[in-house]
Amino acid sequence: MDRKRLLLAEDDELLASLLNYRLEKSGYQVSLSNNGKEVKDQLGKEMPDLIISDIMMPYFSGLELIDYVRNELKSKTPIIIISSAGNEENVLSAFDLGANDFISKPVSPAELIVRVERELAKNQ
Amino acid sequence: MAINFITKSTYDLKAKKLVSQLSQMETMLDAYSFEELTSDEASHLKKTFNAFKKCLDQMIFKPVISSQGGQGIEIRNQATRSTGLMENKTTVNSTMLIAKVSHEIRTPLNGIIGFTDLLREEGLSNRQLSQINAIQSASNSLMEIINELLEYSKLSSGLGNFETTNFYFQNVINEVVYLCNTLITRKEVNLRTAIDPNIPTVLRGDPSKLSQLLINLLGNAIKFVEKGEILLNIKIKERIKNSIHLEFIIKDSGIGISKKNLKHIFDPFKQADNNTFVTYGGSGLGLSIVKQIIEKCKGEITVTSKLGVGTTFTFFLPYEIGKDKDMVNKEESTLNLDEGIKQVSKMNILVFEDNILNQKLIETRLKSWGCQTFITDDAYRGIDVLENHPIDIVLMDLRMPGMNGFEVTDLIRQHSNPNIKNVPVIALSADFTAQNEEECKVHGINDFILKPYSQEELLSKLINNKISEPTSSSKPVTTSDCNKNPIVDLTSLLDDCMGEFELLENLISLFKQNALEFIGACRIHLKNKNYEGFGFASHKIKSGLAMLKTNSLLSIVEKIHEYGKKGTGLEELEILYTAFIKEYSLIDKAIDIDMAKLRKIK
Repeated sequence: MDRKRLLLAEDDELLASLLNYRLEKSGYQVSLSNNGKEVKDQLGKEMPDLIISDIMMPYFSGLELIDYVRNELKSKTPIIIISSAGNEENVLSAFDLGANDFISKPVSPAELIVRVERELAKNQ
Repeated sequence: MAINFITKSTYDLKAKKLVSQLSQMETMLDAYSFEELTSDEASHLKKTFNAFKKCLDQMIFKPVISSQGGQGIEIRNQATRSTGLMENKTTVNSTMLIAKVSHEIRTPLNGIIGFTDLLREEGLSNRQLSQINAIQSASNSLMEIINELLEYSKLSSGLGNFETTNFYFQNVINEVVYLCNTLITRKEVNLRTAIDPNIPTVLRGDPSKLSQLLINLLGNAIKFVEKGEILLNIKIKERIKNSIHLEFIIKDSGIGISKKNLKHIFDPFKQADNNTFVTYGGSGLGLSIVKQIIEKCKGEITVTSKLGVGTTFTFFLPYEIGKDKDMVNKEESTLNLDEGIKQVSKMNILVFEDNILNQKLIETRLKSWGCQTFITDDAYRGIDVLENHPIDIVLMDLRMPGMNGFEVTDLIRQHSNPNIKNVPVIALSADFTAQNEEECKVHGINDFILKPYSQEELLSKLINNKISEPTSSSKPVTTSDCNKNPIVDLTSLLDDCMGEFELLENLISLFKQNALEFIGACRIHLKNKNYEGFGFASHKIKSGLAMLKTNSLLSIVEKIHEYGKKGTGLEELEILYTAFIKEYSLIDKAIDIDMAKLRKIK
């Protein structure tokens, strides 16, 4: 079976390395990015099976990212948003724009993996 | 605090310049379009920037001590190898040389003076007592000469240190007169004072320089008068608005000075004749120091004298008139010894000192005051004492083999227990250089005692630095229950890492790096009143804090974030920033301890 490709856009190095490690351990192929611009470039070239993105990102926010994927690239790739605690407004906007799921900080890696699995299963 | 920071103003200036350049760079980076970079260029940029940052970190957190210190030693070696060459060397930094040499002399002298002091209390025979007196008076004059030499070289090199503070004029005079009266022994000399009652109670200027001047001139007079009167007369010369000119007259009925000698009286190393030194001793620097101090204070000094009749020194000094309400409510500066001893008895004092002589000396003295003492020259043994005994004050010798006093203080200041972390540390050193005093501040040392010191000096420093109970003022704001609940929880993070210890180590080092970056960023944002910067920086560190479950830090950062977003509350931000640093040092230590534990389990 092909390894599923995930794009993880998270500017917090700490969280990114932890999640990267856990996701790879769970059998995913992860490409990491710490800024929105880079994510945009990557997505233009190749669409992963699922996108995990922090809402607050330098240069290109998670919300802009969703908008870009859904409206410009016209892709239905599942997007899971990572949001800071107590940032309800952003989460609602994310759902409005077409995010599939969200997880709030502090992120439990195990929980994220379950959510990733669920989204991918839905899509098959 | 008694520490004067000579280089502070230049230090501030340099730091300001650096910060402004850094923020300029920041703006430039912000404006730069990173879109145009290829990934190679970007990675190169990142590497360069990291190298720069590392270099900067090193400079900020581990400043290299000016090479002058080393030079001093080198110079001395050269000097001993080829005497006479020294004056010709243009690179010779005489101030540093004097500071170095005087340190070498002060250290053993400290032992000599202290022990003769102690011996005196041993119930000696009269013969022994008079011998002890001779040793003591010889060491005291040696000390005096060294001090004057040092003072002179400092003044000549412009390093002389003047403070401007509000002080009670009459108190300074009382102290001086009291001290001078103790100098008059077995002499039929009467010290009389006439002080204008209209002189304002509080003046602004340098009280210690004033007392130094008066002690020097009155001391001189006492030396040269065998029988008769010394008069200290202080008058108001002029009073304009907020400033006042005082006239000080010191008149004695001593041996007087000839016209020929009077001309050179303020020149360094000049005494009336060689015989003067034989009879009266001294370095011959006292009066030239007096003159230099007065001139630096924008005053002037004149002298008139007649052989066999006496000498009159007259000097003028300008002062600002201070306000009584500006005065900090300090204890009386003159310290009652018995009263003082009562205040320090039962204190637990930890002493870091490597010189066995000085160890015994300070132990005996502190014990005689009823203090409990712990003495060591080993950092870890000392920390062990701190962890197992309620220590009130740490006395820290700065020069020790192995870990020096600054490093040991760093260890104490990083301790996870707030009671240990905040224990007052008083540095003891025979080293007089400005660098040391600046460094004391950097390392969180509370006060400084120059060796050798009198028991009064030690006593008053102990009292001044004693934390009065309850210790509410010195208690860190946010660490109330750090002992009850663990302040970090790494086991759950290790679980998240699926037990991969190496990953955990990586994460921790990332976290620490982020925290230091955050501290650095906040410092710059504070200077620039950059609220947006606060918002961004605090956002950046938040998730890491949440991962480590460091709730105390997280709540501080959340508040910083709020103020940053609101764009107001610079004062609050400053307080929060300070709180963050305090709390972070606890967390940092706690992490290390936790990591060590986890490593063992692994």
